[in-house]
Amino acid sequence: MRGVSLELQSGKFYVLRGENGAGKSTLLRMIAGLNEPTEGDILIFGIENKFALEHLGYMAHAPLLYDELSGMENLRFFAQLYETAKSDAAKNDAPLIEAMRRVGLDPALERRIGQYSQGMRQRLSLARAIFHSPDLLLLDEPFSNVDPESALAIAKLLAAMRDEGTTIVLVTHQVGLLSSLADEYILLSHGQLVDRGVMTKGLA
Amino acid sequence: MKSKLFFGLLAIDAALLAYGTYLGLVVAPREATMGDVQRIFYCHVPAATTGFTLFALNFVASVIYLWKRSPMADAWAMTCAEVGVVFCTVVLITGPIWARYAWGTWWVWDMRLTTTLILWLLYVSYMVLRRSSEAGSTSVLAAALAIFAFLDVPIVYMANRWFRTNHPQPMIGTPRLDPHMQNILFFNMIAFLIFGMLIAWFRYDLERTAQKISATHIQRAARGTAMALLPAMFLFQVPPTINPHVYLYGGYISCWSIYIIYLLILMNKLGKLRKEEAELRIV
Amino acid sequence: MSLSISKLTMVNVRKDLQLEWRSRDVFNSMLFFALLVVVVFSFAFERDESRPVMGGLIWIAFLFSTNMALNQSWARELRNGVLDAYRVSPAPAEALFLGKCLGNYVLILLLECVMAPLFVIFYNLKSGGPLYQLVIIFLLGTWALVVNGTFFAAMSIRTKNRELMLPLLLLPISLPAVYSMVEATSIVLNGDGSPWAYVKFLAGFCVIYTTACFLLFEIVLNAE
Repeated sequence: MRGVSLELQSGKFYVLRGENGAGKSTLLRMIAGLNEPTEGDILIFGIENKFALEHLGYMAHAPLLYDELSGMENLRFFAQLYETAKSDAAKNDAPLIEAMRRVGLDPALERRIGQYSQGMRQRLSLARAIFHSPDLLLLDEPFSNVDPESALAIAKLLAAMRDEGTTIVLVTHQVGLLSSLADEYILLSHGQLVDRGVMTKGLA
Repeated sequence: MKSKLFFGLLAIDAALLAYGTYLGLVVAPREATMGDVQRIFYCHVPAATTGFTLFALNFVASVIYLWKRSPMADAWAMTCAEVGVVFCTVVLITGPIWARYAWGTWWVWDMRLTTTLILWLLYVSYMVLRRSSEAGSTSVLAAALAIFAFLDVPIVYMANRWFRTNHPQPMIGTPRLDPHMQNILFFNMIAFLIFGMLIAWFRYDLERTAQKISATHIQRAARGTAMALLPAMFLFQVPPTINPHVYLYGGYISCWSIYIIYLLILMNKLGKLRKEEAELRIV
Repeated sequence: MSLSISKLTMVNVRKDLQLEWRSRDVFNSMLFFALLVVVVFSFAFERDESRPVMGGLIWIAFLFSTNMALNQSWARELRNGVLDAYRVSPAPAEALFLGKCLGNYVLILLLECVMAPLFVIFYNLKSGGPLYQLVIIFLLGTWALVVNGTFFAAMSIRTKNRELMLPLLLLPISLPAVYSMVEATSIVLNGDGSPWAYVKFLAGFCVIYTTACFLLFEIVLNAE
């Protein structure tokens, strides 16, 4: 990355574009706190990103889930990483069930996710990223190898979340899918910020 | 890249080393029981103190790196480890040569050799980690390992102190030293310490330049330094009945060969670095 | 909002046990490996001649199996990139580390429980000293290996030859501890004296390195 300075507005849907190796994933990982910038700070709503992790949701093209567990079991594990212990188990599960329903998965499904299709896995990964109602959602190529039906469902859900006030930053090559849903695009090339602007329909 | 100060110090140190070696080989009194071979002492012990000092510096540099994340500290850490291993290698070669003559056995689990061997292993593993780790994470991982390695030093020392009492303790360099010998030893220690620091300085410059032009293949720790120990094994077929001076000179020659081989490796790296810099300027 | 490390550690341990129970692949293979190691050693080292070096033999067998077990300890977190999801969550990295250590500790103790009786059988072993001393030595020695091993296994994640790096990093650091374990075990097996000096040393080693691992783990996990 070379001297990227960026300011994003809350409640908008941003698409991060650029050729392979432009640094899109790196930038996203930096915002998520997975990569450290050699210089500079990353602030989320004014707080350094390391201290604002509860407000972040992250999704990548790998599912970031355990193959041997079922959907709900995976979510329950991650739920425990995000909250103080609540004694009421039923209250714990409610946001998880809600998240699964929103992504279009059946919470009662006992099957291990290792046997899910790629589309189902990415939907569950999204559920994992959103169950704690993050204010900022970061997605790195969420549609790779996903069937078109699941991809459209995910895209529509993201737009709905944007309407509810979540800020979304998404890295993808499939810009066509999002041209009517996203607000702005940001273009990177060779680690530098090259262009940004409003998404227009039919942008290739 | 090299300042006048460096060459000035180098010249002074060359003189110090030459004089120190002369003192050790000629002037120092002949040791009562071991005879002339004991003179290896004057290049064995200084190598140990220089090596240990460099490892201590590596620890300090690693802590500073983790705190400040400065590439300078990282370069120092790498340099001190690499040069430290070179000096340790000398200890591990001259020690057995001496032991073979003095006690008829190549290896002896005395405190200094044991500590040196473990340190050598620790810092070679440090260099292997440096070579094998992914580019972005090398400095941090190596710094963490350096802290672990240095924590081991007092532990090894105490283990030797408490547990090795039932083993024979032929301390190489027992301090029942003639004050005359002590002075010569001290002189040599200073001369070799300066030598070590000068080599480290040279290597540090190399490392910083390589960092700046991202010449990672030059930043990699010199593989050869650690492997110098292995071929030395093949030289150890000498029977103990031959002229003791063979041991003495064998010790000094192997000691200096290692330093010279390392310096040649460094000059080679410098050449490659110069070529890369020139290429970058043309581009 | 404080996420207590001890609670999260147990969350991680439970998750590891649950994962292992579901697939059972690791435990079964490790069990068989442990059995093989003991058999090979028993073949190679004759019963009567090896009596004086039993301490060393046993611990080398344990080291071998520990290395195998630790090598795959982070495999599940790496598959599917779960480690990233953990790092993005507000949960402290130390809880992940301790959870992993405890899980590995239990696994390796179980393996030792299988290997020790086998050694007794093959070598017709009888302990000269009291058995509880051996238990303490095994508990401390295994922890010393596991805590450093788990830490270095995490370091190896970011290296090119993952499986090779773990023993390369673990063995030099562990040399003083291994020496103590072996000596203490030999003393107890031969029944000549008290192993307490070595046990105290091992305990000190465990304390120092557990602290170091605990403090440095987050830095190593996020070294990218």
